[in-house]
This record gives sequence, structure tokens and C-alpha cells, in this order.
Amino acid sequence: MLFNSISFAVFLPIVFLLYWFTTNRNLKLQNLLLLFSSYFFYACWDYRFLFLLAFSTLLDYYTGIKIHQATNTRTKKNWLWLSISINLGLLGIFKYYNFFTESFTEALSFIGIKSQMLSLNLILPIGISFYTFHGLSYIIDIYNNRIKPEKNFVDYSLFVSFFPLLVAGPIERATHLLPQIKKKRTFTYANTTDGLRQIMWGLFKKLVIADNCAEYVNAVFNNSADYSASTHIVAAIFFTFQIYGDFSGYSDIALGTARLLGIDLLRNFAFPFFSRDIAEFWRRWHISLSSWFKDYLYIPLGGSKGSIWMKIRNTFIIFLVSGFWHGANWTFIVWGFLNALYIMPSILFNTNRNNIYTVASGRKFANFKEIQQMISTFGLTVFAFIFFRADTITSAVSYISSIFSASVFSIPEMIRPELVILLLAFFMIEWNGREYHYAIEHFGSKWPRIMRISFYYLLLFIIFLYAGTTQNFIYFQF
Amino acid sequence: MQGRRKILYIFNFDLIMRKKFIIHFLWFTLPIIAIAYPADLFISHILKTSNNFAHFEYPIWNKIFEGKMDAKVVIYGSSRAWVHIDPQMISDSFGTTAYNLGVDGHNLGLQYLRHQQLLKHNPKPKVIVHAIDIFTFGKQPDLYNSEQFLPYMLHNDDLKTALLDYNGFRPVDFKIPLIRYLGRYSAIKETIGQYFRLDPNLPERIQGFQAQDKVWDGEFEKTKDKTKAFYVKLDASKIQLFESYIEDCKQKNIKLIFVQTPEYIEGQHFEKNRAEIVALLKTISQKHNIPFLSYSSDPLCYNKKYFYNAMHLNKTGTDLFNVKLVRDLRKTGIKFN
Repeated sequence: MLFNSISFAVFLPIVFLLYWFTTNRNLKLQNLLLLFSSYFFYACWDYRFLFLLAFSTLLDYYTGIKIHQATNTRTKKNWLWLSISINLGLLGIFKYYNFFTESFTEALSFIGIKSQMLSLNLILPIGISFYTFHGLSYIIDIYNNRIKPEKNFVDYSLFVSFFPLLVAGPIERATHLLPQIKKKRTFTYANTTDGLRQIMWGLFKKLVIADNCAEYVNAVFNNSADYSASTHIVAAIFFTFQIYGDFSGYSDIALGTARLLGIDLLRNFAFPFFSRDIAEFWRRWHISLSSWFKDYLYIPLGGSKGSIWMKIRNTFIIFLVSGFWHGANWTFIVWGFLNALYIMPSILFNTNRNNIYTVASGRKFANFKEIQQMISTFGLTVFAFIFFRADTITSAVSYISSIFSASVFSIPEMIRPELVILLLAFFMIEWNGREYHYAIEHFGSKWPRIMRISFYYLLLFIIFLYAGTTQNFIYFQF
Repeated sequence: MQGRRKILYIFNFDLIMRKKFIIHFLWFTLPIIAIAYPADLFISHILKTSNNFAHFEYPIWNKIFEGKMDAKVVIYGSSRAWVHIDPQMISDSFGTTAYNLGVDGHNLGLQYLRHQQLLKHNPKPKVIVHAIDIFTFGKQPDLYNSEQFLPYMLHNDDLKTALLDYNGFRPVDFKIPLIRYLGRYSAIKETIGQYFRLDPNLPERIQGFQAQDKVWDGEFEKTKDKTKAFYVKLDASKIQLFESYIEDCKQKNIKLIFVQTPEYIEGQHFEKNRAEIVALLKTISQKHNIPFLSYSSDPLCYNKKYFYNAMHLNKTGTDLFNVKLVRDLRKTGIKFN
């Protein structure tokens, strides 16, 4: 069930009405309804993997309690590692097994040893990377005495499988979501309309921006030899818009949906393309994943403390692992490696927290220096995303090398003027709303009601008119 | 007591807010619901007046659905029917009425849908000249040129049954107004263009036929450089459908003639299982005693100047081919009027 499908448009109002009008007096019943809805939502993707979700939930629920009950550190550690091993083991088998066997076979053949390793024909269970990380953060937090284990199995299961975040995040923390699950939610008009507004904006980003860019990007990346260098550049820029529109659009719909149910999820994007350096970009892009890696990998490794070599090592580890988390392909590892390289100067010179606040805060326009910084950060991001989009490193390299030709000065092919206009309008609205949680959170808040409503109708009309060919959400594959 | 009253107050306030939200939400969606059906009718009505959108298919579908197709000879097939067989030549030569119903980019699946709709809404033809080729039984998962169905789809169960076999539309597209126009920017743009008469809308297909005044485009050479050969995957259900289509025509006393129109010879060599498919087509036609006119080895096939690509003759080629076709049709001894 895609967020942008008719079935979800039927599913959500049913859940909403049952949630607020029939089960609203009983918190347990409300949570049970959400849990049932979440499992139904997941079953619509592939019911065969429900058992995996249930197993992962049960495992972390049980080991969480065991870690807490353990009287000595050794037993605690044993339970922790048991949970980590099984969680990562499942992720490894489903997501990385073939990658490792193929890479190993290739490495052996490189040194002259021929081997035939068994590759498995496995379907990647949707959302596995996300719910595995939910579970991991939960047990690590218990181990570190940050939280106590959740005794109520329904509440814990809901924390893992809450349908707005189940398949592509945001990656939640028990400290943030569990207390909300345990507390009675009250309906607020403002919160609910805000949720709807955020869903609408998410749909615009996904259907209009991402899906239209995707058509262009797919055409160029799939037949790159047929296009000029300038078209390659435009396609790389469009892919950056596509992935942002796709994933942040998904996140907006997820956050808006949760808000309709009185639950606040972690913010996942904070206008990353208005970043002045790569460190700022990573504080604004896929925030829930970046902060997960920071808290559960980077800091335990020593973080930015220690010698210069420690800093370099930790930075590379976190970016390479983050790249690898995205998929079992060397392209993602190179993407992570490039970002580690990009961020290195600011780590070494301790300038990674130079740009903490929103660019041009309190001002309408950015100054020349800020514009220059934003453009160069964006350029570096676009370049790295070529590896993210390409199927293989070879095709990424050939894509990049074909940019360096005389046709770079030619007029890019296949550009649809209406898409350019939409991208400009999108950019302006995003810029205008950069100090809020999402771009249209306060858009037109000072306007008369009729004008504001007209704007929503206009937005829906644009979605109706310009929705691109339906594409799957990119992050579902991770 | 006071605490209970407070709880009641909060509960009531909460309920009022929930109801208020639902009412406001309904008020917001009401105009959309109210406008959906009239807007659908309006768009569909204007869009189908376009002669040139959706690969020029609307005039053909309009004639079929409005029951205005009264030709005695109809031509079926894909683009190789559409751009190769001139119904005017047939009309003039045999003193009959003829119409070309070739549907661009589609094989037997959609050709059969057209056949069904023709018989449902119009008098039956006497003769069907069916341009068949190696793609006739091919697998075709995607609905090419899906725009051609947009104005006719709402509550049309025949189209629903036929089109849901392809990737392209969902069941709701046939039931809920406007949904199928979501993201169909070019169709809406065409509707606006037609409504304000922004283009002359001159018909490009004459009696369903459209000769292509083009020269060789060189695409074949590019494809040849990239790919060695291609293999057409056969769809067993299409072969079965072909058999039942032939039986249906027999029962309705409609004469069938199969024609394999000229294709550029090098292109023919590029098709890996061509011989196998052609043999299958011949076997079926022999089994049912249907004339099979093949132009695969015709001298036209050996000269690029008669083609604009490997699969399609240009106007010069078409003119020469139709002379030959009329001559051979006459030889079949079938009456066309």
C-alpha cells in the first residue's frame, strides 16, 4: 500500500474514524487498533514477511527484558550481543548475503582462485532496515540504562511497527515514541489540520517534483550514451531533486499521518539544500538515520574525541556504514566515501559546527557568500548522488566522464518548461518556509482564510495536473 | 464532582473539535466531489474531438463507439496496417467502402478489443484484411498509448475487462470520475487547446489510413550497433485468442485475409525467431483456409528508399505496395462489395 495510492486514501480515513470516534475512550483499544492497522498495512506489501516483523519484535521485546533483569554485566552483554547478532544476521542474510558472496567470489578470482558460491534468490523484506534499527536502538538504550524495557507487548509492537514509519522511517527512538504510545492522545483541531497540510505537501513533493524528475532521470541514466554532456548535468541535478522530493515527501506524509493520530514522529529533513557546508547538509538530510549512526556508532567509537587519526577513522566508518546501509552495492559505499571526504576538512579544522542555524535566518534573502556556499555544497551533493543513482561504479564513472565533453555547452535535451517552472516554484516555497518544520507549515498564515483554502485547492489542482508517472518510493528498496 | 465535570467538559470539547474537523473536511472536499463528474464529462467530451492527440486514434474510436463505422471492408492490424494499407485504393478498386482500423503499437490483444467493439456498435463488415506480423502474438505487458482510451473509459466494462490485462490503469480508473486524468497533463492541455480551438485540428488519418511522407531515419543502424538481435516472446493466450477470433469471424460469415506487409530485409534478419513465428501464422491460416498474402520477400523489402524505418514503408513504398496488394486481393476471389 503506497502512501500515494487509492488504497491508502481509503485505509487512512477508516483508521482515523475508528481511532478518534470508536476507540478514543480506551488507550489500550486505540493502540490495539493501530497495531492491527499496521500489520494489515504491512501485509498489503507482502504478508509472507509478517512473521519476520513479528519475530524481530518478539526478539527485541524479550531480550530487552532479559538485559534489564540481568544481574551482572556479562549476562547483560551476552543478551545484547545475542539480539544484535540475530538482528544484523537477518538483515545480512536478506540484504547483503548475495553482495558478500559475489564480492568474495570476484576477489578470489582476482587472485586466480575459482570458486562457485551459492547465491540466494531472496526478496528483500520491505522496511527491514528500518525496523531492525528501531529494535537495535531500543535494546542498546536498555543496555545503557537510558530506558527501561517496555512490559506491554502491544505497546512495544506498536513502537516497532507503527504504520506511518514502518517501511521507510523516520527511524524512531524508544525514548521519543514509546512515551507517546503509552500516553492518552487528545484530539486537537490545529494538530490534525496541520497533519493534513503536511500530507498534502508531501504528496506534492512526491508526485509532482520527484516523479516528474524521475521520468527525465530514468531516460538519461538508462541510456546515457544517447545524451549530451549538458543533459547529463541536468539529469544529475534532477536526480538530486528527485531523491529529495521522494524521500522528504514520504517523510512528510508519514509525519502528517502520525500527526492525524496525535503522534509526533522525529523530523527527517530540514531543508538540506540550503546547507552552507557538508556538515550542515548531514544535520539536515535523513536526520533520523544520521543521528542514529551518531548515537549508536560514532560516539561509541570515540566520536570526535581522541587523536586526529581517530577522528578520521570514525568519520570514514560512519559514512561507509551509512552508505552500505542504503544497499548492497559498491555504488552506495562510494557515495558514503565521497561524503566522508567532503566532510573531512570541517572535521580536521573543527569547523563542522560553523553553520548551526538556518541560513539567512530572519532575512528574506541570503547574502552573496551564503549563496556561494549553498551552491558549492549542492554541487558536491549532486556529484555524489551520481554514484547513488548509477547501477554500477563503472556506469557512474562513464556517466561522469561523458560530462567532460564539448557537448557540455549544448542546450540540454528534453527539458519540459513546465517542470522547470514547477521546480522554481518549489524552490521558492521551500526557501520561504525554511525556518519551519515543513515548507507550507505557515504558508499564508496571515492570509484571509478564503485565500489560504484557495491555495490548498491550487496545490491539489497542480498535483492533479502534473503528477508524474507513478514511481515507487526510492527508500522502500532500502 | 468538579473533577468529573472537568473531564466531561474536556471530553465534550474534544468531541466538538473532532466533529468540527470532520465537517470542515467535508466542506473542503465537497466542491471537489461535486465538480468531479461534470469535469470528467467535459474533459472527455472535448478531448475526443481531437483528431491528432493519442496517435490519431480518437476519430477511429469515435466512429466505432458512435456506431458510424459502416465500411464493408475493414483493415485490422498494428501500425503496419495503419501506415501501409490504403482503404481508398481498396474502395476504388472494388467499388466498396473500406476503413483502416490499424491501432498503433498494439498487437492482437487490442486489435481484438477493437474488433469486438466494432461488432457491438456497428454493422458487421464483409471482409477483414488483417495485417499480421511477428508481434501479433507477442507478450505486451504495458499499455502503449493509453491516452487513446481516456474519454471512453468511465463505466465502460468492456474496456475495463480488456485494459486491466495491461499495466496502465487500475479498476478505480473505470469507476471514479476524473481519477484517470490524474497527471495526464498533456491530455488536459489538449482539451484546453481543443476548447479554445488553438490548433486547426485537421484530420491526419484519411479513412483511418495515414501514409508517412518520410525518409529513412537511421534508427535501425543505431539499434543494430547496440543489440545483436531480438527475440519475440510468444504469448500462448494470444494464439488461443487468434483461433477464437477466426472462429468468431467464420460464424458471422466475415471473410478473413491475412497480409504480411513489407519489412526492410535487414530488419527481418534482426528478428531471431521470425521464421518460427511466420511458420506458425502460415499454419493457422492454412488450417482455416484463409488467404495469406506475404510480402516479406517482395523486391520492395530490399530497398531502403521505400522505408522510413525497418518496420514501416514510407509514402513512396506504400503507393507501390498498395498496387500490388489490390492485385493480389483480387486474385483471392473474395467479394468485397
